[in-house]
Amino acid sequence: MKAAITAYVVNELLSGKDVGEQDDLLLSGLVDSLGVMRLVNYLEQQYSVKIPPEDVTIDNFMNIEAISLYLERCMGT
Amino acid sequence: MDFDLNYLLHQSIDRSAERYAERPAFHFLDKSLNYAELVEGANRLAWTLVGEGIKRGDRVGIFLHKSMETPVAVYGIMKAGAAYVPLDPSAPVSRLRSTIQHCGIRCLITHEQKKQDTFDLLDDETPLECVIGLDAVNKPGIRSLAWSSLEAAPGDRAPDVRVMGQDLAYIMYTSGSTGLPKGIMHTHDSGLCYARMAADTYGITHEDRLSNHSPLHFDMSTLDYFSGPLRGAATVIIPEAYTKLPASLSQLIESERLTIWYSVPFALIQLLLRGLVETRDLGTLRWILFGGEPFPPKHLHALRRLLPQARFSNVYGPAEVNQCTYYHLADDDPDSDAVIPIGRVWPNAEGLVVDEKDQPVARGESGELLIRSPTMMRGYWDQPELNARAFYRRPVAGGVSDIFYRTGDLVEEKDDGVLMFLGRKDRQIKTRGYRVELDEVESVLSAHEQVEEAAAYTLDGSEGIEMIQAAVILKPQQGDIADELRNHCARLLPWYAVPESIRAIESFPRTTSGKIDRKALHGHTLQRQRSEAGL
Repeated sequence: MKAAITAYVVNELLSGKDVGEQDDLLLSGLVDSLGVMRLVNYLEQQYSVKIPPEDVTIDNFMNIEAISLYLERCMGT
Repeated sequence: MDFDLNYLLHQSIDRSAERYAERPAFHFLDKSLNYAELVEGANRLAWTLVGEGIKRGDRVGIFLHKSMETPVAVYGIMKAGAAYVPLDPSAPVSRLRSTIQHCGIRCLITHEQKKQDTFDLLDDETPLECVIGLDAVNKPGIRSLAWSSLEAAPGDRAPDVRVMGQDLAYIMYTSGSTGLPKGIMHTHDSGLCYARMAADTYGITHEDRLSNHSPLHFDMSTLDYFSGPLRGAATVIIPEAYTKLPASLSQLIESERLTIWYSVPFALIQLLLRGLVETRDLGTLRWILFGGEPFPPKHLHALRRLLPQARFSNVYGPAEVNQCTYYHLADDDPDSDAVIPIGRVWPNAEGLVVDEKDQPVARGESGELLIRSPTMMRGYWDQPELNARAFYRRPVAGGVSDIFYRTGDLVEEKDDGVLMFLGRKDRQIKTRGYRVELDEVESVLSAHEQVEEAAAYTLDGSEGIEMIQAAVILKPQQGDIADELRNHCARLLPWYAVPESIRAIESFPRTTSGKIDRKALHGHTLQRQRSEAGL
């Protein structure tokens, strides 16, 4: 899952720039709030989950590791 | 100095420290600097810079993510008599290098978080001689000093440097139509005059808590960085990640008990649509300022209904004049689709609305806005041709003339003296508040070896935000290189100027004179989007 999310982020949001699983995803200007929206839409479709606005927070979206932990929780319940 | 003087931007923190030493000046996540600590840190940095040979008039770069080091850098540089030059921490390396080169920056202030990016900057041609904020650099001959080593410098007083109000205080780089970004030069006089005008207009006091939403390289940050300290208020630096996650942002506004908010409309629209504002207690917000681009009225009025206790004001002014007009929404302002005015020119400034021949137009007619104001820039750094064109000189008498800045903005004056923004004279656009010259985007695309010709234009996104689009004609026998072109743009342009989509087409629609018809391109894209959406 982490690899798939990383691939999406690198290709679709970062114009090919590499990113580590624990790198702060939102520090650089490359992913802005519209980029976050696109990522949320992608994750909802790809993993058949519903991500409510109150879950789109620092804790869940700060890096790729946090995103995948969050998704595992979503799909496990 | 024993007089209670405040004629330089950095004297604001000294004066506030005398009255409010223990009150917070800047706040970032769980860290805080009170006025006494800020003065001490800035003094230490100033001594260190002077020790590195920095003199009055020198330019010192700031290459920092938003952090507790940012205000220390801003004020320490000015205390050393130099001008600070904020660099976009996410800009491509090539762009950063050319700015450092163009501005002749010899010293850079950074932190460990930007270590690798700083290393990437240091090529053989760099004019940099010293980097503050790293314990080592990868290039022999360039000195480096860690933040911790600054503690040896005196904190109780600033170095004795002769600086006056007319000296440069900061230079902000913005998109230029030729591809070379231009550096807007502001002095202590123009910056402090703006800080005072803003503090008076919005009644800022030491009890206020201001947001700092804008990044430092964006001119809107000057209200947060200058007007707050002028009055002894606290400025809360909002980390980059919070600006992209509206649900976390609203939580921060609540927990930090912000009283004054200032940002582009884009940030407020995100807050409205996804910020869960109705579930937060944002009752401390007393004044919401927005500027940089038009606010779609339906979103503005929806936000006003959610925050009924707050006043809302439109702030207008190109970075070249800081700010020059204001419009306070009245309680009885109609909740309609009517465009929000940019308002009135503020008291210590004069506005002219003129035609192509610099002749004033009749009230109600469209013309370019020219502004004369003590908050105006000194000019663009090392751009004599641009400086010759940027100003209008109105002869008065006795050989005296008044100098106006040509904003390039088309406006119309209503019967009650209120100004309406109509558009641009040239091809500069605003996307999420950032200024972009479409000519620059086209020149970057055309520079790609597989591109024959390029056109850039804008399209309104779903939330009323202008987004850049591009169409290109490729050289014969080229495959799909849309991704390659996007990456090419990302290597040369700031992130917000990279087109949202780049489409290869066979030929451009043309006007009768043979120019690319960008209006028609815009129409084609709209049609295609509608048909794709099945409309």
